[in-house]
Parts: sequence; C-alpha cells; structure tokens
Amino acid sequence: MIALSEFFQKLAAFFQDYGQLILVKSREHLELTLIAMLIACAIAVPLGIALARCRVRLLVNIVMGLVNVIQPVPSLALVALVMTLFILIKLNLGVPLPGTGMGVGVTALVAYALLPIVRNTFTGLRQVDPTVVEVATGMGMTRRQILIAVEMPLALPVIMAGVRIATVWTIGTATLVSLVGAGGLGTLIFQGLSTYDVGLILAGTLPAIALALVGDWMLGLLERWLTPSGLREPPMRG
Amino acid sequence: MIVLDKVCKSYDGGRTFAVRDLSLEVRSGETLVLLGTSGSGKTTTMKMVNRLIEPTSGAILIEGRDVMAQDVIALRRSIGYSIQHIGLFPHMTVAENVGVVPRLLRWARRRTDERVDQLLGMVGLEPVDFRGRYPAQLSGGQRQRVGVARSLAADPPIVLMDEPFGALDPITREQLQNEFLELESEIRKTIVFVTHDVFEAVKMGDRVAVLDAGELQQLAPPQELVESPANEFVDHFLGQHRFQLSLLTRTIGSIVSELDASAPPPPSRPEVFLPARNSLIEALDLFKKTGRKSVPVYRGQACLGELAKADLLKAIAQVLGEAGSAA
Repeated sequence: MIALSEFFQKLAAFFQDYGQLILVKSREHLELTLIAMLIACAIAVPLGIALARCRVRLLVNIVMGLVNVIQPVPSLALVALVMTLFILIKLNLGVPLPGTGMGVGVTALVAYALLPIVRNTFTGLRQVDPTVVEVATGMGMTRRQILIAVEMPLALPVIMAGVRIATVWTIGTATLVSLVGAGGLGTLIFQGLSTYDVGLILAGTLPAIALALVGDWMLGLLERWLTPSGLREPPMRG
Repeated sequence: MIVLDKVCKSYDGGRTFAVRDLSLEVRSGETLVLLGTSGSGKTTTMKMVNRLIEPTSGAILIEGRDVMAQDVIALRRSIGYSIQHIGLFPHMTVAENVGVVPRLLRWARRRTDERVDQLLGMVGLEPVDFRGRYPAQLSGGQRQRVGVARSLAADPPIVLMDEPFGALDPITREQLQNEFLELESEIRKTIVFVTHDVFEAVKMGDRVAVLDAGELQQLAPPQELVESPANEFVDHFLGQHRFQLSLLTRTIGSIVSELDASAPPPPSRPEVFLPARNSLIEALDLFKKTGRKSVPVYRGQACLGELAKADLLKAIAQVLGEAGSAA
C-alpha cells in the first residue's frame, strides 16, 4: 500500500512538473502530423489514381520507383537531407527557404508518408473487379462517375489502410523533426537525453507512444466506418 | 431495329478478324441469339452495339442512326446491359444497383424508387425484403434476377445480354430462363442475347445467329436451324443434340392441328395450362408433373383447345422419326 501511494505521489509530482509541457508539445506533435498527413494525402491519392489509370507501364514503374526510393532512407537521414536540400536551394538559387523549423520538418514527414498512400491507392484501384468497371461503362457511366461512384468506394478500405500506416509512421518520425527545430515531443526526448533527465525523456516518449496507439485505433475505426457496408456485411443468410 | 452492315473488327490491323463482314438485322421486339463457341466473335459483336468495342469497319445502325455518330454515354444509357458475371456493384444495395441508370438519367427520386420496386416485383424479388440487401447477401439466382432488373431499369428499347444465366446451376438457370421468357412476352424488348449453349439459344431466341471464327454461318428461327442446318459447321455444332433439339424447337403451337377444340373453353385461364410457345418437351414435363390426361393450350389469354397426352406422344414420335431420317 505504501509503495502504491508513493507511486501516485510521484505520478502527481510528474504531472505537476511536466503536465503543461506535455500538453504544449503533444499539440505541436499533433499539428505536425496532421498537416503532414493532409498534404501527403492531397498529393498521394491523386497520384495513386493517376498511376492506376495510366496505361503507360514504364511511366508507372518510374514514378513508383521514385516513391519507393524514399522509403528505405533512414528517417533521421531523410530529415537531415531535407534540411540540407533546403539550405542548398536557398544558397544557390536564392529562393528564400527556411533552413530550419516547421516547414523543413513537415516536408520530411510528407516525403515519408507518400509511399504507403500512393501504393495502396494504386493497388486498391487496380484490384477493383474489371467486370464491375466494364458493366458500369456499358451502363453509360462516364470515367469520372465510375471513379467516384464505383472504383473509389471499392478501393477505399485499401486506401484507408495505407493512410493508417502512414499516420502511425508519421507520428513516430515526427519525434525526429525536432532536430531541425520543428518542435513536437521529440524536443523533450532529445533535451532529456542530453541532460540525463529521465523525467523529461518519459514526458516525451510516453505521450508519443500514446499518440501512435490512439491514432492507430481511431483510424482503424474510421477505416471500418468508411468501408461500404456491402463489403463488410456477413455473407447471405440462408 | 438494329442493323449491322458489313461489320469487321480486327485487333491487329487486318491480319486476323474477331468479326468479319457481319451483316444482320435485329428486328424490333425480337430476341436474336448470337450463338457460338468462345472466340466465335459473339460477345465482340454484342459489345459493338453499345460501343464497348468499336468496329474496325462497317456500320451499326440503331433505328437508322449510326452508333458511331452518337454520343457514346447517351447511347449506352439508352441500351440495357447485363452480363454473365452480373457485375452488381458490391457496395450498393439491391435498390441502388437497380436504380443506377435512372439516377444517371436524373430521374426524380420517387420515380426511381417506384420503378425499382416495380422491377423487383417483376423479377420475383419481394421489394420490401430485398431493396436494402447487398449483393453478398443474395444467392446466385437472386443476383442474376437483380442483374436482369437493372438492365431493364430505364425501360430501354434494346437490351444486350451476355450469357446472363451462364453462371447458374442447371435448375436455377432453367427457372430463370422460363421466368425471363414470361417477362419478355410482356415487355417486348429488342434483345441481343449471347450464349454458347445450343439449348439456351433455341429456347430463348426468336431467331438464332450462329457465328464461327467471326463469320455468320446461319441466321434462322430455332426450328429451321435445327431441321435444316445451312452448312457442315452448323450441322456439326448442333450434331449430337439433334433429337433433343427437335423436340425443344417444335412448339405446341406447331402441332395445333392435334388439338381438340370441340370442348367449350373455360371462362378464364385455369391454373394448369400450356403456353403455345412451349416446346414438346416442356409439354411432356407438364403431363408428367400433373398426371393429367389432357391440358388446355393458351396463346396469351386465348384458349386454343385441349391437348391430349396420347396426341402429344404421337407428335413426339413423328418428330423423332423425321430427325432420325435427316441425320
């Protein structure tokens, strides 16, 4: 009993010390993730659609190859690379880009989140039963109507699975972009690491883990909710 | 009326042809069956009517207008389309599936709903029960019924059907064929019906066009096709089924002289009767099922007389004798 009350005392003290900081940094973290995911979706979903409809196989391979190349780059290296790239562009071309801060961080996160979304949009659309598309064509739907009313709903579960994976990755990678001054929970972790402050380290890592788990869970719900009911109903009764 | 005029389709710039110099007419209100093996060009021919495939040369006219000169989307919406794999949209309910073309045509919601219920009733699916179901919750036969209802949704004058009953077990298929014949006799559509099944062809078709290697071999009503094949290919294609086919293509109407019209007809169509367009085999089946000695024959609501079982058997023996001597 004594141990337990002691634990709660310590916990209360922990929140007293770090509560405010955790809230602020978690909010930054969420902002980074959300902005990055919105931009990534806005790029990746149309790109995936365009690739799925593209008849030139070489072009598809090239674009998919480019997107694939980003993935094996270690996330830390990618963050550093984006920063270097920004600075190089600024110095050589005179484009006023920031060398640090949120812009750099978000760019790295977006680059990282592209692949799962592009790939899943592409495969989701390609795996739609061609006879369904043909019958839709035969009934007089336009290409756009087929995409919106038939192909996208049928591909949505697969696309959402890609968004979900990308979001969890982004929440994780977002801890690294504090290194280029983009803020987020990573700030606390790196500060804690450099000053051997266990409390600070925990104040950064635990919320990051919680965010990843909760984000994954919520997107799971969203995925289920967005899956057209015809695809999740149990098989016929009787 | 649909007119095909010297239609060719080649995928390799004219070295080989999927369809070659095909000329034929589909008369208004008739069911024309395109019969052939796979690779015969029957599906290609059908798909050229709603331009899912475009002809390499030649012309296809619907009511005198070249399909290639029409807006392809409007053209397709004016033609019903139903295929073997049914192609129901799995994410839409039965009602939504049937209502696709009416929605594309921007019908008022109420009109669409009423039409959907009417069509579901027509294909034997209780609307209250089935409207809200998804394709995954239907049996194969029920899905096919929805597919047929969907192709008729906007009341198109022309319906294209590509082996619409192909994926069903024999019993369900026969049931759906019969229901469709019954339905068809009421709605009188111009139907292009593709099949590889000789029995289905003679059963469903007013006329049958036999295709092989993209070329028309014979175009004739079922009975003529069976009794006087135009060439060796058609003869061979029908070959081993000759006896059965003769019985299937000879309708009750054709042995109408055997009917006993002396008895006064009952005031209304009774429960047990034979439609005049039924085949001798179907008549035999009815006798077997009911155990009766004679049944009344009807063409529509008109009574043609009583058919006695003994007379039917006599007619069958005669048909078999003729088919035997022809072979």
